[in-house]
Amino acid sequence: MGALLGNVLEHYVMLAGVLFTIGAVGFLVRRNVLVQLMSIELMLNAVNLAFVAYNRVHGDDMNGHMFVFFIIAVAAAEVAVGLAIVLSFYRLTGSVHSDDADALKG
Amino acid sequence: MIGAGNVLFVIAGILALAGALITVSSRNPIRGAMGLLATIFGIALLFLKLNAQFLAAIQVIVYAGAVVVLFVFVIMLLGPDALGEVGSFPKGKSKVSRGIGGGLLAILAGVALVLLAGRGGAHVRFGDVQPDHGSVEAVGGLLFSRGLVAFELATALLIVAVIGAIAVARGKQTKSHLTPAQRGDGEFFHGTVVARDDRGRPPSKGDG
Amino acid sequence: MDLVIALSPLLAVGFGGLMLMLAEAFGKPSEEGISKTTGDVVDAGAGRGAELGLGASVVLIAGAVMAVGVWIVGPETLEGVADVAPYLLIDRFSLFFTFVLCLGGAFTALLGGGYLPEHRIDRSEFFPLVLFSTFGAIALAMSGDLLSLFVGLETMSLGVYCLIGLRRGSARATEAALKYFLLGSFAAALTLFGAALLYGATGHTDLVGIGEAVATIGQPDSTVAAMPVLLALALTLAGLGFKVAAVPFHQWTPDAYEGAPTPATAFMAAVVKTAAFAILLRVLLVGFGEERLMSWGTGWPPVIATLAVLSMTVGNVVAGRQESVKRMLAYSSIAHAGVALVGVAATIRSTEDATASVLFYLLVYTVSTAGAFGALILCGSRGAEAVSYEDLAGIAKRHPAAALAFSLFLLSLAGFPPTAGFFGKLYVFQSAIDSELYVLVIIGLVNSLIGAYYYVRVMVYMYMREPVPGAPVAKPMSSGMVTSAIVLAALLVLGLGILPGVSLDMAIAAAARGG
Repeated sequence: MGALLGNVLEHYVMLAGVLFTIGAVGFLVRRNVLVQLMSIELMLNAVNLAFVAYNRVHGDDMNGHMFVFFIIAVAAAEVAVGLAIVLSFYRLTGSVHSDDADALKG
Repeated sequence: MIGAGNVLFVIAGILALAGALITVSSRNPIRGAMGLLATIFGIALLFLKLNAQFLAAIQVIVYAGAVVVLFVFVIMLLGPDALGEVGSFPKGKSKVSRGIGGGLLAILAGVALVLLAGRGGAHVRFGDVQPDHGSVEAVGGLLFSRGLVAFELATALLIVAVIGAIAVARGKQTKSHLTPAQRGDGEFFHGTVVARDDRGRPPSKGDG
Repeated sequence: MDLVIALSPLLAVGFGGLMLMLAEAFGKPSEEGISKTTGDVVDAGAGRGAELGLGASVVLIAGAVMAVGVWIVGPETLEGVADVAPYLLIDRFSLFFTFVLCLGGAFTALLGGGYLPEHRIDRSEFFPLVLFSTFGAIALAMSGDLLSLFVGLETMSLGVYCLIGLRRGSARATEAALKYFLLGSFAAALTLFGAALLYGATGHTDLVGIGEAVATIGQPDSTVAAMPVLLALALTLAGLGFKVAAVPFHQWTPDAYEGAPTPATAFMAAVVKTAAFAILLRVLLVGFGEERLMSWGTGWPPVIATLAVLSMTVGNVVAGRQESVKRMLAYSSIAHAGVALVGVAATIRSTEDATASVLFYLLVYTVSTAGAFGALILCGSRGAEAVSYEDLAGIAKRHPAAALAFSLFLLSLAGFPPTAGFFGKLYVFQSAIDSELYVLVIIGLVNSLIGAYYYVRVMVYMYMREPVPGAPVAKPMSSGMVTSAIVLAALLVLGLGILPGVSLDMAIAAAARGG
């Protein structure tokens, strides 16, 4: 078991799954918008890890690596837009607390 | 036999997990950003272990160099307000329901993970790969041959992000000689919102 | 050269967006624009909303015409098409959606050209964003690979988040953008984890390869595990269900629809939803089109059917309780997503007919809902926007044409003959009957009756109520661009209603080639 550690696919997939879950729970439980955005980044990082680990098993086609490249690019763009919206929200409400987003009632 | 590679996996994995837990649990977002940084470095180390040198470099450059720095900038810009929870405690009911929701999700995810790994001891061991697996040449070659279409599509994405981020976040538009009420669409003005709602009535609640 | 022709709609929209961006950056602000925003910073595009809107709509209509052109030439005869596969699939299915998406985008641009100057939102970034978002939507509808699916989805979504947040001074708009952004990114992350699991299980990211690998599950020599595939299916459905605003992934919809500037709302209702349905159909039918996954007992149809029932019921019941017409239209869009999902569920038997019915329904819905939001815009003016039912009281006396057009679109949304909406619903329910989903059809019909209540209620207010003295009422605006958008939509609603045959034949051809 010890020698297998880090040399089998399952370890990486489990780690990715746990990271993804931590991110998802953080997103749902926390109400600080900045922390929620960081939780989404955690989830995307977990996806990256899963892709690279799977690519290691699927041989030399590099499809998984290419996918991760795009995820990283998109994540950066997403954060830029997200923080822009957070700043705009903060200017108007003086808060980054998503419970303060209550002008619209359902 | 436990070799250096196994130790690397353990260290990187613990780094990533601890960072993730700090990110979602810390009250101060700046600590959260540092946790995120730890996770990012942990995953970059794992990428190295998985023969993904190119992505490990990109991971550090883009995530640590751009994304986390952007987060830190914004947290610094907001100052103490970035704590968020100060002064506006979560409403009791929604806090409970959120906790239940999060707990349920965690249980579901746990079950899913057990099912995923549920093939007993039959592990998929990593085989040998070509020496250029994950190198800049291998990934870059694919990116500019078969993946060129997706690459071009991504340019549109970056343009959208640039236009959009500027359009949304650009500061106060002008120092107008008109009062906000005259301009009429509820402009941000001197730190408070002098707004009218979409029907032109004064705001009843929540807009301020 | 073949490739340029095949991609011409996409290229036209993309280059149009770049041109508009340059025009906005280097153009001269209008005199009026300067006087409105006197100060040290003046947008180059200030006061040019009408011109830019016209430009954007011309580009998008050109894109729609090019899609028709490629359709007539026949994408099968163009040789270069294989070069961009599987990232972009140029088939009749894609072209049908390209046409619908360009049409929806053009409506948005026309409405924006009237709405933004009227409400003094000098944000000329609106139009390049509409074009690039439509670009992303077209790429999404064309994509046959999880990679281009993701990139297209994010291009479209990032544009829409910014369209909502453009009205920086409005707390409602910013809040709507924030909510939509957070939940949208979360949904995208779920979809991505599904993509990673699919890649892990099958070794492919293209939908055809995934479909072939998934088909081997259960065979003795198969290397594909069933569990990750099912989990990936669930995650993908959740992510796409969010984009089509199906219950229970709908919480963002009313807030985002209400807070956004009305043209952006029309864009979300028409373009985003249509593109999401395009890729939902493609993923389900190509990636998960294997026989057992498509059967009632062991696959996704019961999940889709549940989503359909929930969406129709919740959408209609809650829509009836709204006081804001914009919110009502938001819930109505959820209900319409439910009806379209009935068509998706019906693909289990008569796959092609059911797909065609969904395609036709989306075309009809795009036109009707864009027209309805256009009429809502026309009914209001600066400082007196039409939002609630009371605002619309007696509008028929003040602006009979706007009230008439609004009524037409509402009748189409409700599904009364001889409007297009009637045939849209008819074909969807017909294909559901062919697939023996009788319960779904009955629930759908009951829901149509509930829906009629709140659509007719708007008409009652417009024609039979007088405004309460002293209460603020909506003053109709005058805008050639909004009017032309409404006239175009009205012609299409009536045309598709009286002569549904041509477009239905096209939908059937599209369903046969793609999906």
